[in-house]
This record gives sequence, C-alpha cells and structure tokens, in this order.
Amino acid sequence: MKKKVLAALLSAAMIGTMLAGCGSKGGDDAKESSTKETGKREMEVEGDDVTTLTVWTFIENHQDFYTNMAEKWNEENPDKKVKLVLSNMAYDDMHNKLSLALESGEGAPDVVDIELGKFPAFMTGEVGLKDLSDVIAPYKENVVESRLDLYSKDGKYYGLPTHVGTTVAFYNTEALDAAGVDYTTIKTWDDFKAAGEKYKEATGKTFAAAETTAQWTLNLMLAQKGGDYMTEDGKLDVNNDKMVECLQYMKDMQAAGALDTIAGGQPDNEEAYPLFNSGDVAAAIMPFWQTSRYTSYMTDLKGKVAIAAPPVWGDNDAVKTIGGGGTGTAVVAGSENADLAAEVFAYIKLSETANEEVWNVLGFDPVNTALWTDTAITENPDNAFIQYFNTKPFDTLNELADGIGLLKCYTDEKMPSVNNTFCTVTLNDIFESDADVKTALDDAQDSLENEFAE
Amino acid sequence: MNKVKKFFYSQKAAPYVFVLPFVLTVLLFWIFPIGNGVLLSFQDVLKDKWVGLKNYERLLSDKIFLKAVWNSVKYMIGTCALLIPFPLLFASLLNSKLMKKPGFFKSIYFLPALTSVVVAGTIFRLIFGEMDTALANRVIEFFGHSPIKWLKGQWTGYFALLLVACWRWTGVNILYFLAGLQSISTDLYEAASIDGASKWQQFKKISFPLVKPTTVYVLTISIYAGLSMFLESYMLWKGNNSPQNIGLTIVGYLYRQGIEKRAMGYACAVGLVLLIVVMIVNLIQLTVTGTFKKEER
Amino acid sequence: MAMDKNEARRKKDRFATAGLLVLFTILAVLIILPIYAIFLASFKPGGHLLQYGLNLDLDFSVMNLDNYVLLFTGSHDYWTWFTNSIILTVITVVLTLLISAFVAYGFAAYEFKGRQVLFVIVLIILSIPLEVVMLPLYKQISSWGMMDNYGAIVLPFLAHASTIFFFRQYLLGLPKSLIEAGRIDGATEYGIFFKLIIPIMKPAFAAMAILNGMNAWNNYLWPLLVIRSSEKYTLTLGLNTLINPYGDNYSLLVVGSFFSIVPIFILFVCFQKYFIEGMTAGAVKE
Repeated sequence: MKKKVLAALLSAAMIGTMLAGCGSKGGDDAKESSTKETGKREMEVEGDDVTTLTVWTFIENHQDFYTNMAEKWNEENPDKKVKLVLSNMAYDDMHNKLSLALESGEGAPDVVDIELGKFPAFMTGEVGLKDLSDVIAPYKENVVESRLDLYSKDGKYYGLPTHVGTTVAFYNTEALDAAGVDYTTIKTWDDFKAAGEKYKEATGKTFAAAETTAQWTLNLMLAQKGGDYMTEDGKLDVNNDKMVECLQYMKDMQAAGALDTIAGGQPDNEEAYPLFNSGDVAAAIMPFWQTSRYTSYMTDLKGKVAIAAPPVWGDNDAVKTIGGGGTGTAVVAGSENADLAAEVFAYIKLSETANEEVWNVLGFDPVNTALWTDTAITENPDNAFIQYFNTKPFDTLNELADGIGLLKCYTDEKMPSVNNTFCTVTLNDIFESDADVKTALDDAQDSLENEFAE
Repeated sequence: MNKVKKFFYSQKAAPYVFVLPFVLTVLLFWIFPIGNGVLLSFQDVLKDKWVGLKNYERLLSDKIFLKAVWNSVKYMIGTCALLIPFPLLFASLLNSKLMKKPGFFKSIYFLPALTSVVVAGTIFRLIFGEMDTALANRVIEFFGHSPIKWLKGQWTGYFALLLVACWRWTGVNILYFLAGLQSISTDLYEAASIDGASKWQQFKKISFPLVKPTTVYVLTISIYAGLSMFLESYMLWKGNNSPQNIGLTIVGYLYRQGIEKRAMGYACAVGLVLLIVVMIVNLIQLTVTGTFKKEER
Repeated sequence: MAMDKNEARRKKDRFATAGLLVLFTILAVLIILPIYAIFLASFKPGGHLLQYGLNLDLDFSVMNLDNYVLLFTGSHDYWTWFTNSIILTVITVVLTLLISAFVAYGFAAYEFKGRQVLFVIVLIILSIPLEVVMLPLYKQISSWGMMDNYGAIVLPFLAHASTIFFFRQYLLGLPKSLIEAGRIDGATEYGIFFKLIIPIMKPAFAAMAILNGMNAWNNYLWPLLVIRSSEKYTLTLGLNTLINPYGDNYSLLVVGSFFSIVPIFILFVCFQKYFIEGMTAGAVKE
C-alpha cells in the first residue's frame, strides 16, 4: 500500500514538473539575456524574407555578441535580414561534432567558432570550410594580418579572427599589497620569480599557476626566447634546448614556491575561477581575453585587479609578448546559405562597429589596432571592463603593441596533437609528478614521432 | 501466393521467421561493419589510401595505446574481483531467512544503477575534488590524512573509477545472484541442515555450485563491461584527456583517434584489437568454467 | 533442556538478524550518500559547488531554491532533453522487448537446422562490446543518410543479444504442452506466440524492461555520434553540454542531474515486484 502511495506521489510530482516545463518553454525569450540561460538561443527577427543561420559556439559570451551584431546588420541591410540560431556546446564536444558533421556532410551548422588550437585539424585533407578571402578583402587593411594568417592555408583565409589575445599579466593588487609585493616592480621573469617566492612565504598561498592543461606561460616564454615547437622546415622538435630552458625555469619557479599547480590546471577553467575569486591564487599570465572571465566569474575582485605587461627575459627578447588563443569563425562550405553567412559574419567580426563591440561586449583586444588609441572607446567610463580593472587596460596593450609575436607552429597541422600530448602527459609529468624536464620532453617527442611516423 | 502463405505459416518455416530479425541484425549491424572495420584498418582514411599493416605496426609501438589497454585490463580485473564475490556474499545473506525486509534493501541497492553514468560520474568527480572541503578529502582528513589530488594520481584515480563501478553495479549484481539463489530449492538447505552442515558449508556445497551459471553470466558481462569501459572515465575526468592518461581506456583511445583526430583507419585497428582481447578473455573464461562444452552439446 | 536449547538458538538467531541488519544498513547508507550529496547540492549555487566540491555540509546560509526556480521557469533546453529521453527510452524498450521475445521464442520452441550455430552467435555477440563496430557502423549509418535520426539509435539494437538470451532461458522453463494445446486449438505458429506466450512472459518483460530501460536512458556514446541537432539531444547528451567552463551551467547541471533520477526510479518502484520475479524465473540455468 505504502509503495503505491509513494509511486502515485512521484508520478504526480513528475507530471506536475513536466507541465511546469512545458509552460516555461512557451515563455522563452531569446532577447532576454541573463547568466541563467544555457545552451541554445534564437533571435527574434520580424519580416518575411529572413534567412536563418545556425551558429555553433563553445563560449557562451559569443552568443550575446553575435546576436547584438546581427541586429545591427539587419538594421543596415533590411533586404538581407538574418536570424541567428545559436547553440553553445562544450569545447571538445563541439569540435568533435563539427569534424564528424563535415566528414559525413550532414548536420553541420552554417557558421562555427573554431578554436585556434583545433583549427589546423580542419585544414587537413579536403577542407570543408569556405574560403573567406573575398568577404575579408573590404576590411583587410584594418586587421592585424598575423591574426588572419592563423586561420589560413595556401593563401586562402578560412577563419575570421576575434581578437589579438595579447598575453598580459593580471595581478590581484589587494592580495599582493597585503603580502608586501609591488607588482609594478616586476619586469623580468627573475622579478616574477622573486615576487612569487616572497608572496608564498608571506601568505602560504599560491602566487601563480604552473599550468598543466594549457601553455599560456610556456608559449610566451618560448616566443620571447625565439623558440618554437617545430624546426624551420616543420619537423617536430618539442624537446629543443629553448623548450627545455623555459620548462626548467618554470619548474625552478615551482620549486621556489612561485608557481603551484592548481585545480583545473590553468586559470581559464571553471574550477580555477573560484580560486582566483577568493584570492587563493594572486596572479595570472593570460591572454587579454581573460578580462571577460574576470568580469563574469570573478566578480568579487572588482577594483582589485591590475593589468600589466608580462615579464620578459631581458632586453634582447625576440618579442615582448605573444598572441594567445583565439577563435576563428568559419563558414561551412556545404552550407546552403554559405555566401550570405560569409558576408554577414565578415561584418559581424571585422567591421569597425564589430571591433568596438568586441571590446564593449566581450572585453577582448580587437584586431583593428587603430581602435586601441581611440580614447573615446578605450577610456569610456561606462565600460564594464574599464570599471572593473584598476589600471587602464589599453595602456598596457599600447605599451606592447609593437612587440606582439606568434609561434609559427600555431598553424601547423601537427599542433592539435602536440597540444594534446603536452596537456595530458608532458606538463603533468613535469609539474605534478616531478619528472625530469628533458626526459618528459624526449618522451613527448617520441610519442609524437610515432603518431606522425616521422 | 497461397502456397507462399502456407509455407510462411508452416511449422517448418516458422522458426526461421522467428529468428529472422536477429539474423538481419547480425548481418547488417555486426558482420558488415566488422568486415568494413577490417578493411578500414588497412587504410589511411583521411588520405584515402591503402597502407597495409602500417596501422597495426604503429599500434605495437604506441605507448599510449599500450597504456590504454593496460588501464582497461586493470579496470576489468578490479571490477571482476570486487563485483562478483561481494554481491554473491551479500545476496546469500539477504536470501537468508534471518534477514528482515530484504525487499527494502534490494530497492535501495538498486538505486545507483538508475542514475546514468553521466550523472554518477559528475557526482563522483565533485566528491573527489581537489579542495580540502570535497567529500573524499573530508573523509581522509577525518583519519588524519592531508588532502589528496585524487584524480591526478594513478592509483587514487583507479580507486575512484572502481568506486564508481562498485557503487553503480553492486545492487544489480546482488539481484542477479538473488535470482540465482532463489531458484535453488529450499529442500536442499533443509536436508543439509538436518545433516548438521554449518551455514558456511551450505554456502560452499549448495549455493556456490548451484549459482555457478549465474556467476558465469555475471562474469561474462563484467568482462565485457570492464574492457569496454569509457563513459565512467570520460565523466570523471570531464573529457577524454586525463592527466598522464591515467583514465584512458581502449574505447577512449578509439574515440580519441577515430573522432578527435579523425584517424579512422587507425581507430578501426584499435577496435579490432579490442575485439580480439575480449574474445580471448571470454574464451579462456568460458573454457575454465566449463560453460563452453555444455553449450556445444 | 530442549527448551533451553531452542531458547539459545533463538537468541543466536536474533543476534544474527541484528548483525545482518546493521551490516545492510551501513551498506545502504554508503550507497545513498552520493545521492544525498547531490540532493543537498541541488540547493546550493553552482559556483559554490565549484569552489568547495561536493560534500555533506548543511550550510543554510547558501542553500536556497534558486536552482529549482531555474529548472522549472528558466529558459533552457532541459525539458526538451527530458522529453526526448523519455520518448526514446519508451520506443526502445517496447520494440526491443517485442522483437527479442519473438526471436527468443524461435530459439526456445523449435528444433531447426542451424539453431546451434545461431545460438552460439547470440552468445558471441553477447560478449562483444558495441564499441568494436562503432566507427564502421557510424560510417555505414552516415552513408545511408540516417544521421541525426532516432532510428539510427534504436534500429541496430532491437534484436538485443542479452535480452534474447534471457528470454530464451525464461521460455525454456515453459511446458511444451502449452504450445501443443495452442496448435490443437488451431492457432497459427505466430498466433501462439502473440496470444499464448506473450501474456505469460510478463515477469520476464518486467525484468528486461528495467534493464533495457536503464540502458536506453543512460546511453551516451552512440547517440553522441549519431545525433547532430541540439533539439534532438537526450538528457545525457544535454547534461554533458552543461559541463562547460563558461556560463552559469553548474546550477542547472546539479539540479537537473538529481531530477533525472526521478522517472527511472518511478519505473523501478512500479515494476520492482515483477522485476525480482522475472529475474528469478529467467535465472541462468544449466
């Protein structure tokens, strides 16, 4: 009897909830943007002749941005209105799904965000993405060319860049002040190391992350030394001397207490945000777009974070900093609306308005560097990012503007595998299991050579 | 036409009609894909060319693949070692006349199996978090140990995987064994009891031999499930890339190569190795337990 | 004397019962613990969970009903996934049971040429993981244009080896006289199956409904490959999209995870009695 009652209660509860669920579906409102929304979003567009474009993203913020910009496009081009249907998916899942969809020629979206680290994987074999060179042409002079090159093959452009991703240093000034560390005196890696040691000694807390699931710091150090993951002629060379030096330096910093491994393995991770937010980790060497993570997920730190130029080895470095990460927005070649999609998204990502919005909505460093010196934009007191940070973000960017490099290997089709090996095995060996740097790198070289039969 | 109909309804044709869906399934969804898999395993699918035995040669020198095989085998052994004796013991105890309200406990033990691996894996990932406030670290702290990065260590990660497996499957296996035990006639126990056999002797001489078919069945599906484990690890490490590949399994590697790296040919070779490993292990198991002979007969 | 002996024995039995109850209660608590933890977490903000991990703290200052408000009134796809999963599970279970029983009856009721060989194939397939054929099967399904189609998820597994095996075991225990009686009454071979056999298989159906239902409800990898559009996502696929560094997804993940246990639990409670009965009747026999 009791069981029957329980079953009845549960069924009733379920029916009730399903009804509630149905009710809420009717109330969907795409324009209403709040952090409580997840997954799929659909624009509301009035008019008869509207083309629907499906868009896949793996970063939720991008949905707001694309929706805003598409509305502007519709205002300016009432004859070519579009309606975006956006799906946000997990990073790995989205890229895997895309590769499956391109292969089978079915179920691919019209437009998709592809992360830099995965982009070369879509450049192998027969490219399933649309050549965007024509639609980029009108905007080309405003765009940092190296960012376009990241998403190109054989002189054809396949991706629309979002930002430069200038790698900078973020310091929690409140935490550092309390420990008697002055971030403005940090100029070189030796300074950084000394500051970290001092901070650790004073507080017992982590200064910065020894990254095990990303290479933001490592790539910066490597580029400053003029190093790379490959030889000049594109052969795997992950155990070269410069790589060993950089990782050994990081390992020494870890031994000295200036770096620790953190939950999530790197600052851009949902497990790491709370650590920064609560002041358990004080500094981050990250590409500029980390700004948006601060304003979205580390809200307790408002007014307590400074952006500064990243440390350097010395005066003779190859570059001051490096562009890190990135999202190339691509158009699927087989899409029915590929031409329109290309035109719309070139506007959405590269027009002057777009570059302003990239900063205003996303907090990224726009690829049109002319904007970097337009004080109406860069010092706009209403801007959420300017309000959040206690330094002027663009001062740091302009200080670095003439020395932003890249690693040549970024576009190499072996790079997704290299990243995978580093982020699963090599960096964990070195920073979590205390393996010898050279040995760990030799192992990586071996296993990658085996994979590519070199 | 009438002849066809008559034949269709005849006692001679009927069995073939009955097994037809199975035959079709086997042909379309097993034999055909396995054949295709064999062909693909000799190709570089992305470059669309035949490469002979190259994929297999690469497998043998691929340390990560060997690690994945070892991880899967280790998991299979661990789950078999834990998920057969204990559920059998619990089932016999639950089956005892002395036990009150076995139905209530059975339902509770079955509950975890009803949570999907996606949910269970997420729960345990958060339980095994690195923070000292996560449940697993709270527990060891209670015993005076400092917090551990559970999911970054080889053996602690293995422990977490086994715990998820035990949590989800203990109840199911208890039910399998209970079913087996309940089909044993109570007369046997009564007779043994009159002869003065202790409970343990009864278990050893009556229960254990008579539930052997159940044990073999559970063992077979445990081997199957152990060697093909993927999702538990995928959820526990929030994806297919665990630190130092401690959670990488054969199927995980197949997924990584075939889907993530689009090396379809190589991945098919991995799949065939999995097939061979499963066949060998089961062949050994069925021979040792003597089941094979009976089915042949 | 005899009284004393009985008394002593009863006492011993009572001790044993108490001991067993303690043992099984501890086991039950351990098994409930993770579900209790996620239940508690469903009242805490997602961010809190990320910061502190999953634990049993009853901290009322951070606990509230926000996640439930989000679940029932927020704008997200949870209920679409939920409905998809229910539809897919029901279709899978009904068709799998029917077709597998059909095949199993063929194996159990008839002697025919090739039966041995076919049954050995059932046993072999029973022990081969689907993942072995996953990639070639994926290519095949893709070339048949069945991508993003629920049919592709259900179809390959309708004649389900372990279900066939179980049903055959169950049917072997049935008296052949029943079938003979049916024939004498003039029923066709298929009529016998549909009118006489299916009704008496109820307990076996219940047992397999739960096992197959569990599998269908939990299925992940194959649907992940086959399904493309997010409006066709099942609950497992959908929940996994929430495990994402960006956006406030963990709140929905936790409450949604907890809630996903509910329907299958109801199914289990309703069929529990038959389930045990069916499992026993179909127990693997020599």
